[in-house]
Amino acid sequence: MWFSSIYLKTLRDFRIAIFGWGLGIGLLMLTVLSTVSALESTAAARASLISLASSFSWIAEPVAVNTPGGYATWKYGFTILVMALWPLLVGSRMLRAEEERGSMDALLSLPRGRWRVALEKLAAMWTALLVIALIIALLVFAGGAGVSADFGLGGALLFGLNLALICGVFGSIALLVSQFTQEAGPAAGVTGGLLLLFIVVDMIHRVVPGTEWLSRLSPVYYYNLSKPLVPGYGTDPVAMLVLLGLSALLSGTALWLFVKRDIARTVTLPRFLHMPERAVRPEYALPVNDWSLRSIYARSMAKLVVPTFWWTVAIGGFAAWMVFIVEQTAQKLQDLYNSAPLLKDTITKVGRGDANTNASILSFLYLILPVMLMAFAVTQAGRWAADEEDGLHELVLSTPQPRLRVLLSRFGAVATATVIIGVVTLVLTALAAAAGGLALDGGNLTAATLSIIPMGLLMAALGYLFSGWLRTAIDTGLLSFLLVIWFSITFIGPELNLPEGVLRLSAFYYYGTPLLHGLPLGDMLGVLAVSAMALVLASARFVRKDIGR
Amino acid sequence: MPAIIEVESLSKSYGGKRGIIDLSFQVEEGEIFGFLGPNGAGKTTTIRLLMALLRADSGTARIAGMDVWEQSVEIKKLVGYLPAELSLDPSLTGGQILEYFGHLRGGVDQEYLKKLIARLDFDPTRKFRQYSSGNKRKIGIIQAFMHRPRLLVLDEPTNGLDPLNQQEFDRMIKEVRAEGRTVFLSSHILTEVEQSCSRVAIIREGQLVRVSGVAALKDIKRHELTITFAGAVPVEAFEALQGVESVESVDDGHTLRLDVSGGQDAIVKAAAQYSVVTMSSHEPSLEDIFLRFYEGDGNADREASHVVQ
Repeated sequence: MWFSSIYLKTLRDFRIAIFGWGLGIGLLMLTVLSTVSALESTAAARASLISLASSFSWIAEPVAVNTPGGYATWKYGFTILVMALWPLLVGSRMLRAEEERGSMDALLSLPRGRWRVALEKLAAMWTALLVIALIIALLVFAGGAGVSADFGLGGALLFGLNLALICGVFGSIALLVSQFTQEAGPAAGVTGGLLLLFIVVDMIHRVVPGTEWLSRLSPVYYYNLSKPLVPGYGTDPVAMLVLLGLSALLSGTALWLFVKRDIARTVTLPRFLHMPERAVRPEYALPVNDWSLRSIYARSMAKLVVPTFWWTVAIGGFAAWMVFIVEQTAQKLQDLYNSAPLLKDTITKVGRGDANTNASILSFLYLILPVMLMAFAVTQAGRWAADEEDGLHELVLSTPQPRLRVLLSRFGAVATATVIIGVVTLVLTALAAAAGGLALDGGNLTAATLSIIPMGLLMAALGYLFSGWLRTAIDTGLLSFLLVIWFSITFIGPELNLPEGVLRLSAFYYYGTPLLHGLPLGDMLGVLAVSAMALVLASARFVRKDIGR
Repeated sequence: MPAIIEVESLSKSYGGKRGIIDLSFQVEEGEIFGFLGPNGAGKTTTIRLLMALLRADSGTARIAGMDVWEQSVEIKKLVGYLPAELSLDPSLTGGQILEYFGHLRGGVDQEYLKKLIARLDFDPTRKFRQYSSGNKRKIGIIQAFMHRPRLLVLDEPTNGLDPLNQQEFDRMIKEVRAEGRTVFLSSHILTEVEQSCSRVAIIREGQLVRVSGVAALKDIKRHELTITFAGAVPVEAFEALQGVESVESVDDGHTLRLDVSGGQDAIVKAAAQYSVVTMSSHEPSLEDIFLRFYEGDGNADREASHVVQ
């Protein structure tokens, strides 16, 4: 049945994503809803929460945050838009990836028109989005029922639908952009940038008065006009229709361009938009004299430049921003602690310090830094595994380069990138502290930012080790699972009073709280030793294994 | 001539699946050696074992007297390799790819490289992803030849090349032979092997069926004899004759097509009983011989037990 049409085959390809994203986001919402009562146990706690939310209005408009639905809507105001990453990737790959692989030629040799092929794929994406939205809605409803929230199944379903609509917009943007790019990757990158830009544009009117006209240019603005989980606020049908119309317009344009253009080519731009072409006569094309072509390490570094830049912006930017805002929100957060002991308890246990100080709050927030760097390492370990699967090692290993050198050169490039990210994060944080007038211990700040490096190396080394046996998808999945488990043990474990032995199973345990207590030298050396051991085992495996495709 | 490739009882399996079984052959220095077999026969497995991309389960393989696994780095200084499926960084231009592999290999003469580019009419300014399959093959051939290796290991080298470039490739192979260098070439394009190679090995289902000179392979030929008679003749008169494998009657019995192995004396004498109008004998191409090995009629199995070294 699943192979009887392009629509069903595409939908089948989405089956893991549907349940992964649906359950992931749904459980996230369910967890938030179930913690609300602990934060709002007293009238004073509710007042503090409202005060705190107003300080963080840049996240989302704080409406009825003293209700479960209002709190969940505010807390995951823009964070929930992480779900847009999936349609963004799907939209960018929907037609372009098929063209890259050459499978579009085969697909279009069938007695089906281009419109039909593209529409079936688009319909599959929308079906998947709606199923994801349904799963989320059911979990939100369950979470709300658990805390006697004042929204019903209808509100939860509208919440899911609104989410599906904004996600559909970004899927449609990616689909349109991919008509102008030769590969799916750049289309996803551009759309990811637009997602970030639109989130910021929407934020502006909540921070700078009189700029609502600007925020109206962002689709996220129309998403935020509906708050179906907030009692009395409800849904804005016009805003939802705007999102639907925008998706239809963008997708329709993309499909129209697809039908008109050559397969495996991009849309022809008007002449005035053409980039100046560098006409190189073949006889002068060599030698290229490019530094990045001199060794495997140099080539690997060149390929890492762009991802390293963006991950540095994300990690360094997050660290610096937290330093910058921590003083502004500290007083309000302390008011909340006084009336919500659970939150204070969590920060105290996880942050391992006095929750009343800026440094403790910052220390708690800085636990995110190694998580982010390790996520970067997961992507790079996945790249290494994928290169073998794609056959890119084959010709390199036919040159007189020892296998060990090939592996160490690639790992060395990843290690260099993690060091760069750590150092830049340190510099940005120090600058933000100076600009914000926050006095932080220089040694501890250095320890907190630079000791994320061994954590990244650990994850990369484990990824290289697992790739000796596992295929890319399983390798990346296993690493991601490990990251989530470690994160859960560290962030939820203390509250669940898990025994010390279990807490020690998480790599984050060894990162410690360097911002408060300095560099845990022994633990860091331990992490480095485990990383080195994993790398040695990965090398031993790689030099003996069959190179596969 | 000393052997540059020595393969002895080489076996490789992928879990429970067959790869190659007990393969033994030698390639002499300076010869063009063809390695024939249909898809899945084990050609690429053999080549990837020689290139130390796979590790043998048992047996040995040596190139220039060195073990292919233990001394693979030393061996790769002598070898130019073209894989059957070429995967390269799609974001690099042809020129960048050639320069990158030039650095990794070392010893690339830029003038020679430019000549190769010109000979194959290759445009190195475009990105790999923009190349047609033929141009992708060209860049593979150029990078294999560019450091003038002592041994070329080419896995289905002309796949996707147009006839003009195939001719140019044949000339390049002949030049390599004239310089005393060696080529180990796998293919299922038999005319290519017939024209280029001095010796041929045939592999079937992971096992070597035959190794011999191209001329010797033709000695096991089966002629197709077509005899046109003035009147209809009975098929039975020819079916039982020595060497006749099959008889087909066409044109209302006026013409017989006979598949014949060995001598044709009995057939000529039998045909002389009737009024013969025309008689033609067609010598099989290597293609015909190749097909015979794989037709699964039992002959191939008989041949397999008489591997000629």
